[in-house]
Amino acid sequence: MKKNKVAFYWAGSCGGCEITITELGMNLIDFADQVEILFWPAILDFKYSDVKALQDQEIDICFFNGAICNQENEQLALLLRKKSNKLVAFGACSNNGGIPGLVNLCDAEAIIQRVYYTTPSLDETRGTRPQQITRVPEGEIEIPALCNRVRTLAQVVPVDYFMPGCPPVADQVWKVLQLVLAGDLPENSGVIGVDEKTTCDVCPRKKGNNDVRIKEFKRPHEVLMDPDVCFLVQGVICCGPVTRAGCGLPCLNANMPCRGCYGAPEGVVDQGAKLLSAIAAIIDTDNPDQINQILDSIVDPVGTFYRFSLADSILNELKYTRFNS
Amino acid sequence: MNPHNELPNRFSDKVRAMPGGENLDACYACGTCVSKCMIQQKVEAEFNPRRLLKMVMLDKQTEAFQDPTTWMCSRCDLCYPACPQQIHISELIHSVKQLAVEAGYSSSLDVVNVDEGLCSGCGICVMACPYEAPSLFEKGVNGSTDRFAMVDGTRCMGCGICVAACPAGAIARDGVSNQEITSQIKTISSNSAPSLAIFVCDWCLRAESDLSILESYPDPVNVIHIPCSGRIDPQMALLALGRGYDGVLVCGCKPGECHYVRGTMIGSCKMEMLGRMNGQMDITGQPVRFVQIGTQERGRIREEIDAMLNSMPLRKES
Repeated sequence: MKKNKVAFYWAGSCGGCEITITELGMNLIDFADQVEILFWPAILDFKYSDVKALQDQEIDICFFNGAICNQENEQLALLLRKKSNKLVAFGACSNNGGIPGLVNLCDAEAIIQRVYYTTPSLDETRGTRPQQITRVPEGEIEIPALCNRVRTLAQVVPVDYFMPGCPPVADQVWKVLQLVLAGDLPENSGVIGVDEKTTCDVCPRKKGNNDVRIKEFKRPHEVLMDPDVCFLVQGVICCGPVTRAGCGLPCLNANMPCRGCYGAPEGVVDQGAKLLSAIAAIIDTDNPDQINQILDSIVDPVGTFYRFSLADSILNELKYTRFNS
Repeated sequence: MNPHNELPNRFSDKVRAMPGGENLDACYACGTCVSKCMIQQKVEAEFNPRRLLKMVMLDKQTEAFQDPTTWMCSRCDLCYPACPQQIHISELIHSVKQLAVEAGYSSSLDVVNVDEGLCSGCGICVMACPYEAPSLFEKGVNGSTDRFAMVDGTRCMGCGICVAACPAGAIARDGVSNQEITSQIKTISSNSAPSLAIFVCDWCLRAESDLSILESYPDPVNVIHIPCSGRIDPQMALLALGRGYDGVLVCGCKPGECHYVRGTMIGSCKMEMLGRMNGQMDITGQPVRFVQIGTQERGRIREEIDAMLNSMPLRKES
């Protein structure tokens, strides 16, 4: 039987998506036996030239994790799109921008300033700043330029399947890899490796009733959270209502609110704005002067409402199109 | 002890025994409440609290249960500060409604429905509703127990606050579903004049002349009517900007005058926070704004629209 040819790549990411694949344990050994791996820089020794040498669409399926943060990410996205029959946006960063997408709150120069000059733990007297081209005795070495705007994979190239999660949990990864082996991936492009409905649907916590409304929001470190009661009822912002189910609730089981990494469910066009729409409706005050005070208790609203989806949001789109100042 | 056990049979006595019912006889039928009521002015000429109270005093139970006043009062309480006898008329009307529901009558209003195929049972609607209409219930689905919301149609006033709050898009009623509202947000192609999407609550503009001000603006200033400013979904404001509008103005009632009690507060929280997030993203010029228009503030809508149109720079497609 002809073996499936697969590739894995990491762009702007933390590496967690690669770790989740190693979490498959013995299943990974089985999988590797049944496929031909053409490219997987995190695990095996391949060079970009190996990919360039492939026929177009020679890779049957490519799992691409990480956001598009620099020119190298972009070039590899274009290259792997060309060489792959099916391209999977694997993990929150390639789906929605993920944590790297929060860069879009500022720009590339602000990031460089922070990382190389103003981070408190830094010895800034050295003034080290990475240069795109550095001369060394052997010649010139080049590092890829940082993009001013972090993009999702689908903002750069067409994507066939979207598999969200930070990271996608091993159970879901294994389900999808089994579909790959069986040739049973859905015909139409779309979201895979998720469950129906939202995280709240599977969350066992006791939900709010009509005498519960919120006068102050608290961050997880500011309050002792009851493990049996809905976080929102306790005034802790939880992204569960606007997040696809499928993760198996690792955060909730550790008594931490959902952060939204599995992305918005069907019908929600902007995860952060929809969460705001839900959260605002459960605020309790008759006093207009109190509104600002209550909203002040949501520190960093963009980072809270759009933690994983900023790069994929309408809010973000506005910044880079018509409302750039 | 159930207070209903020892009630005499007279309808008026039943109402007197309900919360707020003790004030029934204080009403001397001056009609100030009628003159204050937005429903009477805007929707239903037959709406008349004075007449309803009179019906109750005269034990006209069937007439009272069938009267639109019983079902349409949203407990905004605009009439309360005006009542010279300081009667909480809305409480009295609500008592009549409760007796009507017990007697098997149902609301004539358009109420929301829950699509169980989409509902996640998160309970947001339960916490959001000003009228305690939604509640959660459990039922067996494919061998396991699942949780859903359901809406008590006799309590629902059709404000749409839950429709905006529902993260799953599971709640709707005719006229205010997500689809029906977003389909009214046009795509603006040319920017020869400043374009503005105005989401206006059905209640904040009291005078006919104010409503005609809204109609006096040509394209691309477009008005989208929503039942309550609490119905605004920040996604809609962003969608409008994304489809080419230069600005979005949401109009609601002044605090304390909201027809649906909590709606204007909810709308103001959403728009204030959306404004803060625009600020975090360096989106300048306040392209989303929220105004709360009081019942006395005739003509203010024009000032607000003009102020916004004048302050907006023409934006080009990039």
